Amino acid sequence: MNKASVKKEIGYSKKKNRDLTLMALPAIIWFICFCYIPLFGICFAFKRFTPVPGESLFKNLFVNSKWVGLENFSFLLRSSDMPGIMFNTLFYNIIFIILNIVIPVFLAIFLTELHSEKLKGSIQMVMVLPYFLSWVIVGYLVYAFLATDEGTVNHILGFFGKTAVQWYQSPKCWRLFLIILGVWKSAGYSMIIYLCAITSIDRTLYESADLDGATFMEKVHYITLPHLTPTICTIFILSVGNILNSDFGLFYQVPMDSGSLQGVTQTLDVYVYKALMQQANFSFSAAASFLQSLVGFVLLMVTNNIIAAIDRDSSLM
Amino acid sequence: MEKNHFKDINQYVSPENSAYSKKANTVVSFVYIALSVIMFLPVLLVIIISFSSEDSINEIGYSFFPKGLSLKAYGYLFNSGGFLGRAFLNSLLITAAGVVFGLMLMCPIAYALSRKEYKLRRGILLFLMIPMLFSGGLVSSYMVNTQIFHLSNSYYALILPNLCSTWFIMILRNYFQNAIPDSLIEAAELDGAGHFQIFRLIVAPVAKPVIMTVALFQTFNYWNSWYPSLLYLDSNHTELYPLQYVLVNMDRSIQTLVRDTQYLSGMNAYTPPTITIRMVMVVVVILPVMLILPFFQQFLKRGMTVGAIKG
Repeated sequence: MNKASVKKEIGYSKKKNRDLTLMALPAIIWFICFCYIPLFGICFAFKRFTPVPGESLFKNLFVNSKWVGLENFSFLLRSSDMPGIMFNTLFYNIIFIILNIVIPVFLAIFLTELHSEKLKGSIQMVMVLPYFLSWVIVGYLVYAFLATDEGTVNHILGFFGKTAVQWYQSPKCWRLFLIILGVWKSAGYSMIIYLCAITSIDRTLYESADLDGATFMEKVHYITLPHLTPTICTIFILSVGNILNSDFGLFYQVPMDSGSLQGVTQTLDVYVYKALMQQANFSFSAAASFLQSLVGFVLLMVTNNIIAAIDRDSSLM
Repeated sequence: MEKNHFKDINQYVSPENSAYSKKANTVVSFVYIALSVIMFLPVLLVIIISFSSEDSINEIGYSFFPKGLSLKAYGYLFNSGGFLGRAFLNSLLITAAGVVFGLMLMCPIAYALSRKEYKLRRGILLFLMIPMLFSGGLVSSYMVNTQIFHLSNSYYALILPNLCSTWFIMILRNYFQNAIPDSLIEAAELDGAGHFQIFRLIVAPVAKPVIMTVALFQTFNYWNSWYPSLLYLDSNHTELYPLQYVLVNMDRSIQTLVRDTQYLSGMNAYTPPTITIRMVMVVVVILPVMLILPFFQQFLKRGMTVGAIKG
């Protein structure tokens, strides 16, 4: 028996284990500071937060504030803005879940077969660029088109003899704008994820399908799509887990926080931010984010189990 | 991770075994080129605006075909004293710190988790997974960061809270575990190398593609970050503003800029091209992203897998 296999059977020595723990330690400390300590803050959602100035956060939260049970939640859910906010959050998320799967898969399948390597690379690069721009930048790109006086769109309207529109005051088209922007920003990136998945399909499958005289669409239907299913399911499960979350920048920064657009732009994340920073309503804000993670977690588990029941390999866990 | 993952996504289908005929290829290529151009138009528009003359903008607005070109806004920014330069340096500093410290935290733990004989492996994995499912929410992290760690109005607030991500650690770990042969590490262990040495001399060089991929993601994340500034910086600390946050506060920022310039140059009559200035700043932010993207693509092809959590 050689030395290496002896080592394997008895596992690592104390010193080796200690070295590895030392290597893991800095990151563990970071996770404790920035993920685990804030966990106690879930209590904010079940307290009426009445801080005494000058005292520590823990004392203010646990001693100076009263437990109120689910009162924050019932107030939150009964507030008159809530139905609209919930509708917006779910509306955009459901549309994004569908479009952000269908469009990138479609783009990836048809891009793979292009002849020129160089062209494929360049197209990916242009399409992925929006993903790496912040919403602040996107906000300015949109402003260039929609500004009332100098905006490109209003000048084109003027050219055709139509009157200028105050885009940041008229909510009518914004649902469509936000959907287009959401897809524009992430389609290229998701496309690359699916391209990677397509690359791992054994190419001989297509060759034998060719021998059987399969058309391109048949090959996509019987070979490509089934092989993409696990990736699609992973992305689907993760996005369902985020169903009450939304891209704060898209809904707050891109419409320039315009009051007249609130009806179509306010989502739960915007509410959480505003309750905290503008109204200093800690308990409502905390209750809203608790609701987000609870609903997300439950839905993630349910979706994962349903998918696991249909096809074990496509599930997340 | 099978060998397949390292295949180049652009070489996967060669012209000979593509499903497209020559004619079909031309048509589809054309469609994709058109789509890319349309997707690029917003960025192009802003670049054009930044070079447009003020007169042209006053007359025909933001147009793809300006009547006159001018570098006035660029010149103005570069002569505007410290304010914008400072913001640019802030962005650079935050990005560099985020990438370096992030990797210094994430690579070692990912290596420890990639060693199957490591005693605490399962426990630490669970420890990293829990924050992915549960979090204290915005209120709680805001309160902890401001009242316990006292991070408001400091660079730390912009760097520390986003250093690590379970997702990146998993991507790194999967690569360390699958792309580096166990025999290589065992041989080094037999030679008496400690884990620190093994990581530095064997793992890090071999895993360069995945480390670079994570580094580039961190780079973009920090370069684009503005939410922490919105939460933790107040208007008395403009010297800490990164570029992105200057853009969030544009109206106020332009006033500061004008004041600084007037103070420096001693002239009051000069009105800066305020409309184009903001677009110039947008270009200043976008340009580095466009320059790094080609490098990123090289690594993207190899380093990225979605099922990272499963492995």
